[in-house]
Formats: sequence, C-alpha cells, structure tokens
Amino acid sequence: MIDAFQRSAEAVGATIKRFISVTEGVSYIRDLAAGAPISASFLPQEIREAFTETSFAHPDDAADARLCVSFAKAGIAATGSLLLELADPRERGATALPLLHAVFVKGSTIVADLYALHEIIACELNSPKSAYLSLTTGPSRTADIERVLTIGVHGPKELHVLVLEGV
Amino acid sequence: MGRATIKKKIHDTFLRRALKNFAAAYPVARAKAFEGIDFEGLRGRISDTKKAGLKELPELVSRFKSRAEQAGATVHVCATPEDANRTILGIIREKGADFLIKSKAMTSEEIELNPYLEKKGIRCLETDLGEWIIQLAGERPSHMVMPAIHKNKEEVAELFSRATGHECPPDIPSLVWTAREALRSGFLTGQVGLSGANAAMADTGTLAIITNEGNGRLVTTLPRTHIALVGVEKIVPSLTEALDVISVLPKNATGQKITSYVSFIKGPTGEGRELHIVLLDNGRLKLAADPDFSEALKCVKCGACANVCPIYEIVGGHVFGHIYVGGIGLVLTPFFHGFDKAEDILKLCIGCKKCNEVCAAKIDIEGLIVDLRDRIRKPVGQKFLFGTMMKNRRLFHATLRTLYLAQKPFQSAGGRIRHLPLILDSETKFRTLPPIAEKPFRDIVAERPGTGDQGPGTRKSNSKLKTQNSKLEKVLFYTGCLADFVYPDMCRDAKESLEKLGYEVIFPQEQTCCGIPARYSGEMAVAKDMARINTDVLLAEEANYVATICPTCTMSLKHDFQKLLEGDEAFREKARKLADKVFNFSELAARKIGNEGQWPEIGSMAVRDVVTYHDACHLKRGCGVHEEPRKVLRELAGVEIREMADCDKCCGFGGSYSIKYPEISQEVLKNKLENIKASGAQTVAVDCPGCKLQTEGGLEAAGSSVKVEHSATLVARRLRQTK
Repeated sequence: MIDAFQRSAEAVGATIKRFISVTEGVSYIRDLAAGAPISASFLPQEIREAFTETSFAHPDDAADARLCVSFAKAGIAATGSLLLELADPRERGATALPLLHAVFVKGSTIVADLYALHEIIACELNSPKSAYLSLTTGPSRTADIERVLTIGVHGPKELHVLVLEGV
Repeated sequence: MGRATIKKKIHDTFLRRALKNFAAAYPVARAKAFEGIDFEGLRGRISDTKKAGLKELPELVSRFKSRAEQAGATVHVCATPEDANRTILGIIREKGADFLIKSKAMTSEEIELNPYLEKKGIRCLETDLGEWIIQLAGERPSHMVMPAIHKNKEEVAELFSRATGHECPPDIPSLVWTAREALRSGFLTGQVGLSGANAAMADTGTLAIITNEGNGRLVTTLPRTHIALVGVEKIVPSLTEALDVISVLPKNATGQKITSYVSFIKGPTGEGRELHIVLLDNGRLKLAADPDFSEALKCVKCGACANVCPIYEIVGGHVFGHIYVGGIGLVLTPFFHGFDKAEDILKLCIGCKKCNEVCAAKIDIEGLIVDLRDRIRKPVGQKFLFGTMMKNRRLFHATLRTLYLAQKPFQSAGGRIRHLPLILDSETKFRTLPPIAEKPFRDIVAERPGTGDQGPGTRKSNSKLKTQNSKLEKVLFYTGCLADFVYPDMCRDAKESLEKLGYEVIFPQEQTCCGIPARYSGEMAVAKDMARINTDVLLAEEANYVATICPTCTMSLKHDFQKLLEGDEAFREKARKLADKVFNFSELAARKIGNEGQWPEIGSMAVRDVVTYHDACHLKRGCGVHEEPRKVLRELAGVEIREMADCDKCCGFGGSYSIKYPEISQEVLKNKLENIKASGAQTVAVDCPGCKLQTEGGLEAAGSSVKVEHSATLVARRLRQTK
C-alpha cells in the first residue's frame, strides 16, 4: 500500500520520504526549513514532542513561515492524497500560505482509494461540530496559462510527505 | 451567431493551436486518469442519483438548508440572479466591507456578480489564475474549467504588466509567480471570501470544493466571512454521492486523477466566523420539473463536452456557448439566460454525439440540443421546405429530379460539381460535390421487373423466385435519400452484397426521407409525420430485417422514431416493432461471416488492400456499432485496416450543417483529411453516404488521389471477384 501511495504521490510532484522513527522525520524537516520560521497545524503529541529544539511560529504569523508541518489522518494509495483535519482556520492558513508543506502520515492509515475514506470523512461530518477537511494531493498547481503545468501558484510549491512505517 | 465573429475565431491562430493541442492531449490524459476505473458504472451511478435528486429537488433544498443551518451556516435561497446579487451585497455591507476576494464560481459568472458589486462600490478580486486573467481583460470564460484557454502568454504578460505596474516577461513560470505575489495581499486583506461548490450534501449540510491552485482554501480560510454561491442542482443526498462527483470530475475535466485540493466544509469554523450559503435557483427548480429537459441539470460542470467537441475545437467557447459553454452550455443557456440568448448557439451543434460519450452524468446532450431547436424561431421558408415539400414524397422526389437538370451547367468533366455560382462558391469550394444521379436507385429498381424489388403495391409477383427465396431471410432495403439520389451505385452494391450473402432484398418504393433534416431544424411535427409514414411503409411487408446504408437513417429508424412517437398511442408499438428489425448494412453482413466454406479465399488471402476506416458519428455513437464494420471489411471485403488517429471524430458533414456553416465544416474536415493522409492508406472505408460526400469532396478539392468507398461497395467488389 505504501509503495502504491508513493508512486501515485510522486506522479503528481510530491516528495516522499519513508522513516522508521519520528526523529528522523524531524531532522529532515529542519534541514528543509534551513533555519527559516516553521509553522505547524495539529500534530499528535509524540510528533510535537520530537520537535524539541523548534519553536513554531505564532499562528497569526503563518504567512511569514517558510514551511508548515502537519499530520494527516489518512492517505490514499490510488491518488497519493492526504486527509487533513483543519477545523481551526489558523491551522488551515498555516498549511496554505507557506512555500513548503511537510506532512506526516502513518503507513498503517493509508487506504486503497477515495471510497475507502468514506467512514472517516462521514464520521467527521456527522459530528455536531463544524468541520473543515482538506484532501491534499501534491503541491499547488495550475495550467491556466497556455495549459502549461506550473507548480506552486497560491498554495505550497513543494509537498513533502513523511511516511512513518511500522505504525 | 454573427458570421464575422465565427470567422474571427477561425482565423485566430493562437486560439486554434491551443484548442487543437488540447483536443489531442485531453483524450490521452483522460484515459490515463480513468485507468482501472469503471467509467460507465461510475457515470451510471451519478446519472441515477442526480435524476432521483431532481425529482425531489425542493425537498433536497429544504433538507440541505436545515442541516447546514443546524451546523451554524446561514442559508439564503435565491430565486433570481437579482435576488442573489442583492443578498450577497447585503452580507458584504453588513460586515462593513468593501473588498471581496473570490475563488472560481461559474454561478458568479451566471449572475454577473462582479459588475453588480462594482457598481455598488465593492471591489472584487478573482484569485483563480484563469479568472484573474479574464477579469483583467474584461472578458468572460471561454471554458468552464480553463477560463483563459483563449489567452496566450504574451497577452497575459501585457495584462499583468498593466495590473502590477512593472514589466512582466511572457514567461509562464514567472507569470504564475507574479500572480502569487500580486494576489497575496488580496488574500491577506480581503474581508469577505466568495466561493462556489462542486457538491452540497443534504444529510450534513456540507459543501465540497474541488480546486488545484490553493486559492479556494485561502478564500475560505483567511476572511472571517465566507459566502458560497451554489446552484441548487449541486445538492446530493449524502457523502456517498458526493464522492462519486469528486471522483469523476477531475478525471473528466482535466485528466487528473484528483485535484490538488478537495475541501469539505461544514458550518463556520473558528470563533466569530460566518458561513453564508447562497443557493441559486435561477430557473433550476422549474427546469428540474420539466419532463423533457430536466436531464440537463444532472451536469457536474466538468466541461468534458467542450473538450471533445469538434466545433468547440474550431471556434472556442466565446462562440460555442454563452456564459456556460460547450454542449451543455448550449442546453443550459435558454433556461438560465433566456431563449433569445440561445437561438444562434443552438444551431452550432453538428450532432456528432461525441459529448454524450464522455458526459460524466450520462446526459443526452446532443438530443437535448436538437429537441430545444423546436422551441426557437425558425428561418423563413423552412416551414414550406419541411411542412409542405418533405411531407409529400412525390413532390420531394420530383424536386430532386429537377435538380438533376439544374446542376448540369456546373458539372465539370467526370460529372462532379467543382464551382457553384457567385456567393455560394467561396463558401463551398473546400470540397467538390457529387452530382444528383440521372437515375436514382428507386428508378433503376423499378425498371427491372420480375425481381420482386418494387415493393408492395407496385410489385409483380414472380412465383419461381418466391419459392426459391422462401427459405431466405427477407430484408427491406431502406437506402436513405442521399444514397438513393446521389449514390445509386452504392445502393446497388449493398443490395447485391446482401443477396450474395444469402438474404432476399426488397426495396419498398413508398419509403421516403427519415425526417432527420426536419428534426435537426427543429420541425418536430414534420419529423413525427415522417416517422409515421416510414413506419407504416416498412411494416406493410412482412420481413425479418430492415437494412440501411446511411447511419443517420439507421439511428432515426431505430432510436428516434420510438422517441418521437412515444406519445402516439397508435404508433408507439409499431415504432418499437420496427426498431427491432432495423440494422445497418455491416451488422447484417457480419451475421453471415462464419458461414464456413462460402468464401474460403477471402479468409486466407495473403495480399490485401490497405484501407483506413472512418467511423460515422451516427453509427458509432448513434447506434453503438463500430466492431462489425471492421469485421466485415477484414473478412468479407478482404482488406487490411490501418487505423487513423481520431477515427471516430466527425468529418464535418452534419447534413445541412455543411451548407449552413461551411466555414466551420471545412475546418473540421481539414482535421479529418490530415488524419487520413497520415494513415498512408489509399482508400478510406466509410459506412455513410454523407461522410463519403464530405471526405471524398474534400480529398478531391485538395488534389488527393485517395478514394472513399462505402463498405458495401468494397464487399460487393470482392464478392464479384470471388464468386
């Protein structure tokens, strides 16, 4: 499943890195940011804690961050997509504004196709709370000028997917 | 549609190249995106759920409204564009705002929101790259998904230079970067954001928005107030149906498996935020209840009908459509914008049905266009032509015979018509025309007494032949007018082939025009009369089959008659009975393949002529027949088929279309001739006299030696050699 996910995601211009441990992923992200401000949307505790020496940008300053770190609830092998739960608009802005977006996803949460996500999405939509889910596939793109595919128009120019294998 | 506008688009070199490249690239990307996916199953489900939803659209609207409001959104149902514009202005003013940032919404184009708001002092900023380009140019989209496909990078660079105040080079990546930087401050300062939506789920009040650039997420995230302007037909019962729309749309629109972003939005998210959902009716609820045209609302707005349309490829969306463009745009325009806006564009469809083949919601787009022509004003003289002349077979056929004499002065050596007088000439010289035959097939048949060919009424019985033929399956031969009066040899070849293959063939003399020209011209009443006349003629004599050699007639007899006569108690059953018997020549011929031992030499022939096969639109898509003709050519005509690119794309004939719009017809033909030439074959096999007339005339006018032959002629030739 992870192999299929990797193929699909790479086909749409995402960079895929497979890691056994969170700390490896963290150092990869630090290298990517190269000292520039990093913002973050929701991260599970074990991932947030691994960013020991990183202080994330204040949510209101997301526009100034170079990179955003996120965590996907699930992935889709057929399309290389990631499902992000982003009900907090500040977290959403954090994922949409910077040039680089790095997303952790657990290998075990990758499903075959869009339809296999039905239950997870329905569960979010059926809860009494408001919801905003973003299915993200590759970097932002356009072909609006002469149909020439150009990467990175309003959203991130690079999407790095950090697949955590074995979890 | 003004002739001048059409000509201008035809001569717009950039537009032509852009659309042609896209037309070539799209099918490849689309096929790849649908790899491993059952497209027919998927669109069947979408069609079924949309259809069911339209039946209960008012209920779906109220269910969606109450669920979305439970989730904290404010829902405004707006009956008219004025209502919607006023409502949106009200929301913006209530927020004390004067700046609206927008992501792509065709509904906003539909209600002409920007000009309305600008007049009221609200600044609007389109942030979808394509929409921004056309906003700067002061134009409207020429494609639903790629709004600025008609603009080249030089034009974009000029627009961006003017907008940003600094020189922008015509380099695409740098132009895209300019747009990112220029629009960024808009995102950060926009007070209210407006989006459309691709699906709205009634059970949870959720919106789904499909985008690529990321502007949609910013528009629905950064401003504290989000307005979604959504057509009521976008409401589906639940997530299950929405996932089908999300699955099909990007694949069909741009050949992407999925877009970069799909967002599911339920209620306002975040402290003090507001979500206003403006549900736009604008004729939709009325259309949903229309027994004949509600189907149009199944549309998911993927734009695929434009992507494959041979006419769109020539003239683009500023001609082929109004605000909504492409095939479905032609259908929706009269309902959303009025029949006056639709009159001209409805005539632009050539009837090739290519759109039907790819439609994500399985809409009979071409059928709806043709049916809508009944509701528009007809040209002067058309009533006489169809109402009086076509309905009277004797008068109609006498007129055709007179034309044989009238054409004489224009015939050149070999009999073909190369020049027509005065104004007609410049419009028609792209192809030479075959003359009307001195003797139509019907006369040739009548002059051969004793063959049992004259049909009921005039037929003299021949008892010897009858006994001999009593075991044979009996075929009534319906030639169609074009073959009868212009290509009698083609008719003879078909009859002879079918006889040699083991059928008894009879030509009923009372047969007349199938009614398609009347139907395509919006004369539905005449078309119904023609259907009744022919149904009676073809059922008068007991027979196993009715054979045709013109796909348009086949489609008409087999499918259209049933539809036309559905409401006619006396004819409904008869039309069904006839439909069961009607087959194209190649289908009947193919049934005799495998009568082992009959023509062993054909099967084992080592040297075969090479032909390329052109699929007639109405045979492939009108009747679903495309394998049998190839089988017949290989196994009965003994030829090798070398397929050309786009073998099933229209040749540009379209019956009277090529006379009404010769400038478009010849451009469509040019594409076909290029593909024929590239195949290297010296013969084009067709199953349609119309396709033969068009391609043969085009090849001849271009000085090509390539021949065009009906399958029946190729089969007859081979059978004559072998028997």
